[in-house]
Amino acid sequence: MEAFLQILFSGLTLGAMYALSAVGLTLLWGVVGMLNMSQGVMLAIGGYASYSAITYLGLPWPLGLPAAIIGGFITGLVFYHVMVRWMYRAPAFEVNIIIATVGAAIVLESLMIRVFTGYPLDQPFSLPGGFRIGGIQLPFQTLINLSVAGIMTLGLGWLLRSTRLGRAIRATAQRRDAAQLLGVPVARVYLQVMIMAGIIAAISGVMLTASVANLSPYAGTNPMLKAFFICAIAGLGNIPAAVGASLILAFIEGSIQYSVSARFGFPTMLGLAIVVLIWRPYGLFGQRTVERS
Amino acid sequence: MTEASLNVDAITAGYRGRPVLRDVSLSVPEGKVVGIVGPNGHGKTTLLRCISGMLPLSSGQIVFRDRILKGLAIEKIAELGVIHIPQGDLIFPDMSVRDNLLMGAYMPAAYANVEQHLNAVHDLFPVLLERRDQIASTLSGGERRMLGIGRGLMCGGRLLMIDEPSLGLAPIVIEQIYAVLNELKREGRTILLVEENAARMLDLVDDIYLLDHGELVWNGTPAEFEERQEVLETYLGADL
Repeated sequence: MEAFLQILFSGLTLGAMYALSAVGLTLLWGVVGMLNMSQGVMLAIGGYASYSAITYLGLPWPLGLPAAIIGGFITGLVFYHVMVRWMYRAPAFEVNIIIATVGAAIVLESLMIRVFTGYPLDQPFSLPGGFRIGGIQLPFQTLINLSVAGIMTLGLGWLLRSTRLGRAIRATAQRRDAAQLLGVPVARVYLQVMIMAGIIAAISGVMLTASVANLSPYAGTNPMLKAFFICAIAGLGNIPAAVGASLILAFIEGSIQYSVSARFGFPTMLGLAIVVLIWRPYGLFGQRTVERS
Repeated sequence: MTEASLNVDAITAGYRGRPVLRDVSLSVPEGKVVGIVGPNGHGKTTLLRCISGMLPLSSGQIVFRDRILKGLAIEKIAELGVIHIPQGDLIFPDMSVRDNLLMGAYMPAAYANVEQHLNAVHDLFPVLLERRDQIASTLSGGERRMLGIGRGLMCGGRLLMIDEPSLGLAPIVIEQIYAVLNELKREGRTILLVEENAARMLDLVDDIYLLDHGELVWNGTPAEFEERQEVLETYLGADL
């Protein structure tokens, strides 16, 4: 029982983390056709924004989250204006942007090392303590992470499903030309999506560094890789599926780590991803990717 | 002659420097229906793409209600009220029928009257009301075309440009769609209609233009067209 709860809680903690990260990735891929190799540094930027606001500006710790949101907003804005807006019309955009975001990741990582050093820091945005259920310690921070992940994914789902902006985002993703002919300013839609992705990444960076990882320029690399596998398994561009796959994979990873060895968690995920993609090349819930004109 | 809604003045345009349209001029008067016919691949769709801003002009000018369209973004031209209903099924495949229609009313002016537009479209195409929650990609070819036209009507535009509304459809569906186009004409809409075949549109249009190898080769009323149909067909080497 205790073991089960242990796996359940660590699975939930990891799953919430993966879900946030995967949702950001899948949003960008699904809408902009952008495989964002900078996702990892975008997570770290959120973590450092929170850290700076609390440590250097002396703000109370809960304000780390709004600080990260501002950081994510600026990151999205910069990514759009420096890269995406000049590139998205080109036919090879989907390949070009991968290379561009790899480059951006290297630049930003070096910048962060320069400013904050590579030395791992503690994320001051955190709520110590917790309570015990069935002999297991459940930290308050885990509850915060779960709530934030839940609110963000549900909120994003609602926005995409039921709002005018959300419809315009989906329309742009599915048929850019047709959306434009209906008066949708697609450049602005891309900007809005970049900003949303920046904010989501920044928030998940704070949650990540507050619970399972130290704050460093590389803190987001591992979660980014896992988010890629999750998106591939779920089918890129599908938000509910990304959340579901995140939780399932986190539980599998948790069980393997608990019952076999911590070092087999990640390889198992990889193996699973390969098997799923051989069996269903577009992911478990994926459809053929929309062809772009 | 009534005031012109759209004036296309000697435009030349093409892809990769190879002109598809050469020196094309036409005018669509306010409240009239103008048809463009001609064999496939002779620039009809390209002409509409030029008007809606999807393809830049090499030379010439397009004026819509005293506004020069050259250099305007596609969405700005749509905001002026030029609504291009493209060829084929450019509906949003993974969205519901209702969401597709709501996207038609994306622009603020249309969104303010979205319910009114929605009711009007449902009156014209009752099937879109029946299937409102269905995902668009699961519709039949005819229903998709109706959705495409309905979505364009949701914009509340001032000029409707409809590209091959009957392409690839069964005769009975074509009849339904033309019944709607007739209804729109009765409402006094300004329409620029493109078809490969003139026979269907003779009862609908006020004015016909013939487009051949990227040039307008003939212009007249439907009655004049019927009189000279054989000569024109021989000249073009195609059934019209």
